[in-house]
Parts: sequence; C-alpha cells; structure tokens
Amino acid sequence: MELGLNTIKKALHQRYPFLMVDRVIEFEKGKRAIGIKNVSVNEPFFQGHFPERKIMPGVLISEVMAQTGAMLFYDEDKKENPTYYLGSIKTRFLQPVVPGDTLRVEVTPVKITKDAGIINAIASVNGKTVAKGEFTFKAIQ
Amino acid sequence: MPKINMQNLEKEIKSVISEIAEVEPEKITPEANFVEDLGMDSMMALEILASLEKKYKIKIPEENLMKLTNLKQTLELVKDLVNK
Repeated sequence: MELGLNTIKKALHQRYPFLMVDRVIEFEKGKRAIGIKNVSVNEPFFQGHFPERKIMPGVLISEVMAQTGAMLFYDEDKKENPTYYLGSIKTRFLQPVVPGDTLRVEVTPVKITKDAGIINAIASVNGKTVAKGEFTFKAIQ
Repeated sequence: MPKINMQNLEKEIKSVISEIAEVEPEKITPEANFVEDLGMDSMMALEILASLEKKYKIKIPEENLMKLTNLKQTLELVKDLVNK
C-alpha cells in the first residue's frame, strides 16, 4: 500500500520545516514501511550546513529514519495518532547526502509493544546505503 | 541443548543491562530496582527485553515487560524461557 502526503500528515505531527517524509511507497502496518524524502537544494538547513559545501546533517537523516519509523505505527482506524518521542538512536552514517538525492528509508520493527517500539532503518540513495540505525520510540501520553 | 550455566547467565544479563542503562555492573545487584536505583526508563527496559530476545533466541511476551524490575526477576524470566 502507498501512502500520500495527506495520510502522512495524519500519522505524523511534524510540519514545515520538519516534516521529513514526502511519500510512503510501501506500507504494511507494523511490519514494513518505505519512506521517500527528496532532498532539495532549497532545504533551509543547507544555508548553514555548509555554506561552502552542502551536506545533509546526519541528525536530519536520522530524523527521516525516525519519522518513517513512526509511520510503522500508523493506524487509520484511530481518530488521532499519538506523537512519538525518541528514547535512543544508534546510527551509522556511511555516505554524504547532498542536494538532488532521493533518500529511500526502509524500516522494519525489532520489537513493538502497544505504546513503544524499537525499529531498524536503512537509508539509501540510488540503491547505495547511506545510513543505518536502530531507534527506540514511545508514545507521548 | 546444553544446560545453561546460571552464573554465566547472570553475568551476561548484567552486562546487557549495564550497557543499555549505562551503569557500572557493580551497581546492578539482584535487588536493585531498575527505575529507582539504576535510573532506567520504560524504553531502556524495552531495549533490554529486545536484546535478551535476540541473544537467547527467545520470545518474551509484552506483558512480561512489567516484570523486568530488577536483575533477579529478569534472570528468572530468561531462565524460564530458555529452559522451555
């Protein structure tokens, strides 16, 4: 199943300039999600990171992975989806992400409970892994 | 399956807890409360549970998360599941 921006905005509470998932191209609730983030030269963070060479900050790649991870919990039957906060992240960055790249983030659960979870994420650009990590979440009560 | 060595099991679990909660292994006494004495939160407990599942190839049902309050209980739980 594919999820468009309207559904993503129902699942995630982040908004401009912090909504980091443009589209979800595959979604199986609680099992697998693939999120897409198109990285444009106009992203506000490129102004300062860095003026002489534009590289997407690793923490923001983590944010793309975390937000795609939160999509795994999306439940269309729920009136309002909870906001999740991160407890811990373990990430490795392997390649720089630059303007023009399309980030593809695939997330799978390691362990999910009713209000928290641990997910695994692999971010790639053109089939090449650029970052991977493990994220622990909990819903804000 | 080889019989589990209890002393090793305790040592291994202690090292998992120590790494996730970032506390010295000496502080993890059998009765030390994860939240009150070791400063852990529910997400760390979940990480410990997931690590133990992976390490011992067991499935720990979600309702057991509440039982992970100290080393002694964690050890009991893993021992039960490993011997099943």
